[in-house]
Amino acid sequence: MTAGSLLSLGAVLVLAPALPGVATKTKALLTGRRGAPVLQLYRDLLRLLRKGAVYSTTTTWMFRLAPVAAVVTPLLAGILLPLDGRGAVLQFSGDFVAFAALLALGRFTLILAALDTGSSLEGMGASRDAAFASLVEPGLFLCFVVLILATGRLSLSGMLGAAPAPSLAMVAVSLFFVLLAEASRVPVDDPATHLELTMIHEVAVLDHSGPDLALLLYGGALRLALFAALPVSVLVSRAPLAAPLALTVLVAGMVVVAVAVGIVESSMARLRLSRVPQFLVAASVLASLGVILQLLT
Amino acid sequence: MQHLADLVLLLVLLTSFLILGTTRLTTCIRAVAAQGGLLGVLPLVLEPRWSAHTLGLAAGTILVKAIVLPWFLTWAIREAAVRREVEPRVGYIASLILGVVAVAVASAVATRLPVPGAHPILLLATSLSCVIMGLLVLATRAKALIQVVGYLMLENGIYVFGLTSVDRVPFLVEVGVLLDVFVGVFIMGIVVFHINREFDSLDSARLTELKD
Amino acid sequence: MTLYFLGLAALVAAGLSAVILGRRPAFADRSYGLLAGAGCVLAGLPAVRVLAGGPAPGVQLAVPTPAGGGPWVFGIDLLSAAFLLVVLGPGLASALYGVRALRSERAHGSNAARLLFVLELAALALVVTARAVVPFLIAWEVMAVLAYFLVTFEHERAEVRRAGLVYLVATHTGTLALLALFASWAGPSGGGSLSFDALAARADALPAGGALVLCLALFGFGLKAGLVPLHFWLPDAHASAPSHVSGLMSGVVIKMGIYGLFRVVSLLAAPPAWWGWLVLALGAVSAVLGVLWALAQHDLKRLLAYHSVENIGIILMGLGAGVLGIAYRVPLVAVLGFAGAILHTLNHALFKSLLFLGAGATYHATGTRELDRLGGLARRMPLTWIAFLIGSVAIVGLPPLNGFVSEWVVYQALLGGVTSAGPIRLSLVGIAALALVGGLALACFAKVCGIVFLGAPRSTAAARGHEAATGMLAPMLGLAAACVLIGLAPALAVGPALAVGASVARAAVETAGSGIPQAVTRIGLLSLMVVALLGLGSLAWAALRRRRPTSQAETWGCGSALPNVRMQYTASSFAAPLLAAYGPLAGVRETRSRTAFHSHAREIVLEGAILPMWAAVRGALWRLRPIQHGRLWVYLLYLIAVLLLLLLYLAGLVGGTSR
Repeated sequence: MTAGSLLSLGAVLVLAPALPGVATKTKALLTGRRGAPVLQLYRDLLRLLRKGAVYSTTTTWMFRLAPVAAVVTPLLAGILLPLDGRGAVLQFSGDFVAFAALLALGRFTLILAALDTGSSLEGMGASRDAAFASLVEPGLFLCFVVLILATGRLSLSGMLGAAPAPSLAMVAVSLFFVLLAEASRVPVDDPATHLELTMIHEVAVLDHSGPDLALLLYGGALRLALFAALPVSVLVSRAPLAAPLALTVLVAGMVVVAVAVGIVESSMARLRLSRVPQFLVAASVLASLGVILQLLT
Repeated sequence: MQHLADLVLLLVLLTSFLILGTTRLTTCIRAVAAQGGLLGVLPLVLEPRWSAHTLGLAAGTILVKAIVLPWFLTWAIREAAVRREVEPRVGYIASLILGVVAVAVASAVATRLPVPGAHPILLLATSLSCVIMGLLVLATRAKALIQVVGYLMLENGIYVFGLTSVDRVPFLVEVGVLLDVFVGVFIMGIVVFHINREFDSLDSARLTELKD
Repeated sequence: MTLYFLGLAALVAAGLSAVILGRRPAFADRSYGLLAGAGCVLAGLPAVRVLAGGPAPGVQLAVPTPAGGGPWVFGIDLLSAAFLLVVLGPGLASALYGVRALRSERAHGSNAARLLFVLELAALALVVTARAVVPFLIAWEVMAVLAYFLVTFEHERAEVRRAGLVYLVATHTGTLALLALFASWAGPSGGGSLSFDALAARADALPAGGALVLCLALFGFGLKAGLVPLHFWLPDAHASAPSHVSGLMSGVVIKMGIYGLFRVVSLLAAPPAWWGWLVLALGAVSAVLGVLWALAQHDLKRLLAYHSVENIGIILMGLGAGVLGIAYRVPLVAVLGFAGAILHTLNHALFKSLLFLGAGATYHATGTRELDRLGGLARRMPLTWIAFLIGSVAIVGLPPLNGFVSEWVVYQALLGGVTSAGPIRLSLVGIAALALVGGLALACFAKVCGIVFLGAPRSTAAARGHEAATGMLAPMLGLAAACVLIGLAPALAVGPALAVGASVARAAVETAGSGIPQAVTRIGLLSLMVVALLGLGSLAWAALRRRRPTSQAETWGCGSALPNVRMQYTASSFAAPLLAAYGPLAGVRETRSRTAFHSHAREIVLEGAILPMWAAVRGALWRLRPIQHGRLWVYLLYLIAVLLLLLLYLAGLVGGTSR
């Protein structure tokens, strides 16, 4: 554990809510609108924190636990990532399994909270969330396998920062696909839609309000930040850089990823639900190609 | 140059996967056009010294595979009023996974294949995978037009294989490009066929009805 | 060893006391519980001592059997000790649960069922400690037949009888394979000692590296373990039994197949690589298909039974990786693979028993196992819900519980293969499969927990549910505590598991340099952090909430009129998008009309292959019916004909040797 890694984690925790703003702003500018300010989410969070909450009579403690878990799990997953380019706060052999499992734990509680309300619409969102997440998982792990093959290291801190190779480009693209799914963005999900039948993540949190909703929104921004940090760390080796510079590069890279998310959102529509699995399998296909390439060299 | 060639070959593979995974006919055609363009660039990145021969090969390939044939295909769609969906016999996800298996098998074979000359293993792997995936498209897609695309993929695979021996067997690749004439004939057949028949019979499954 | 046999005697005494004191139920309950508990503890103590590094005890009994086969050897080595704990821990919990559950489920015959249950436990313990072929096979058969009687407890129901029959046929087919296995291993010499040590000495002389032995083992033991496609008997049998029996069957009895495979591997010095690949591939297929088929189920206990198929798959992936480690001479992979398999065996025994006991409690409270008729039980059975939730999080393999620890060890074994050189790198396919299984299992248990315990009750039966009795709750909470303990202090379990793995791989524990012990402590730290942060976060948030105005209301119906219970999402609809993505692999048949949607989960192997085959065989045998017509003199002619043929055969045999 180093001071640098803790500091980077702190910076990511503070800056995370700006990322969805960057994506939305990009989309607005590209479609010829002015759009909401980049820092809008901060304002939303502050306002929601001051509000009261409404709880459904059907719900139990699971409904109240989910928002906390939505922040705690990405936070703990974040301490496994080498955000300063050198090493994570906590690192061990096979920690990427824990990284994925922690995020899965957050999803599990969120799905249960959605089912806790007894609403058919939230059930629908939860069901789709579960279905799509299960299809993303192999792609994510195959990406890690490519990195392990490239470096021979089994911890996230060791495997991120391999020498550039074509297979890593595949990994980065595949991780971007994974990000679009995990952070509920177009073309898998649409954060801007307000038709309950077509939403996935948004509809699963429909009943949360006030401070609970603030936690969920913040947790979502954290997830986006973590998954944006992954492709940046794959493509740019920051180990030789000084700590402040490494952090700047990371933040700049994450902004670039958020801009890319915005470009995707402005250039294509959400996929038909029955077509989403195809898109998610494409992420695994890309990662498998990366594996084959890595085995060939 | 090695990395650049690898990258081009990877993109060739990815266009093949796009054809396997897309639902739309026009995307297929665009992908196969992109593949043709990439194949045109390939001799340039493989050979560090450009000769008139390689330049001519590149120009000819791009002209035929990336411009003329795709345009012809699009024209055929418009002319024959083909519905713009792929209608696969094997699902898209299954096709994609079969594609990965094809690449894996092709790579395993490519590392063992005794081909003279120093070539990146990926070149052989790509050529074999393109052939297998082309056959896959031919076998699993019902529509005649997509089958033309599949045939094109197969032929592109053979073209890539020809590049491994471009310095020893001079006109092999050029003869390969000539095969594209067949594609033109196929497309003409589809269009002419349409003029005589209803649209439904573009489905090659109907060919089984030809038996007495 | 004396302690161990004393424990078994106490178990038998527990069963006898339940039968003898049957007239005075309260007294019988107490003596049964005490004696069974004492028996399990006594028999378990030597195992704990062995796992803690003590010497492995053993005993030779000269039992005069007409069959020969030398003395009966029993012993507790590291492998036996690990499986002994698997048998006795969850077994005791199920036994104690059975005391209370059977009292109300059905009065008559329950005393005999208790006797059978502890006898089954004793038989299981003998299976894992027998070190010679004859006692092993006897214990195996006793275990299999007793399980049949336990499964058919509710024999007045036709589907239970059918499930029992299919089980009986399957298990005896397996035993047949085991007979062939040991016969081919011992060779034609006969008469000599049939102890496992003697078999191990003969391992090098086996033709083709023991290919026949290994294939027979995979079939015979695989049938007991329920790996795809030999799982066809499992869901029916496990769903039909009373819940504590299901817990024992799913948690412990199928693990005997795993034990058998482990024993065969440890006796063969060098299992070949192809067998490792085969086991790894079958494990991956079992895991993926098991969880996919579980998703399609509508019956809670069938769903849990299919998850056993999945977890057996994960265990086999560890075992396969271990064998590959031996074959490709990567000792670390071998040790980790075996250790992961052993640890997951123990963990699965804990959480699967727990889940079946929880399912039993909900069945007890509501009278239905159908998911789509349950709901909202979290309010009515809060402690059962917590226990079930712990079991679910554990089985999905999420931190901070034990399932994550053992899956991590299996991952570590596969990763060790990936970072080695040579063909063993292809074990990366196992990683993708394991990741897929993790995602699917999450979806499946989100469905179970959400539909059964959360939301509003979907039927009046579910609305009337009540908390389980203390006698049923205590075993569940005990199992849940074990899951939490291994999750928060993984070093406790991983260390002994590594020792067992090293003993099977016949390698020293060379894990010190690999970062494994360090990683295990850090996993424990991470798990503690998860628990602490979730706890503290919830407390802080509750404090914040008290300062904000909160109100209660109906669930937001998106503008529609008051949502009612019939509008709630059901288990079938929850699983539908996932199953649709997998198409025919999921084996779901859907029927829709304008107002209704039904999905039916097919038993692909049973309905698609075994039953048609059965029908074909029966059709063929039907033609032989004319030879059976009841005339005595014709039967005598048959006898004479057979006798003559036999004599001719013998004459030929003798003539052959004299020449």
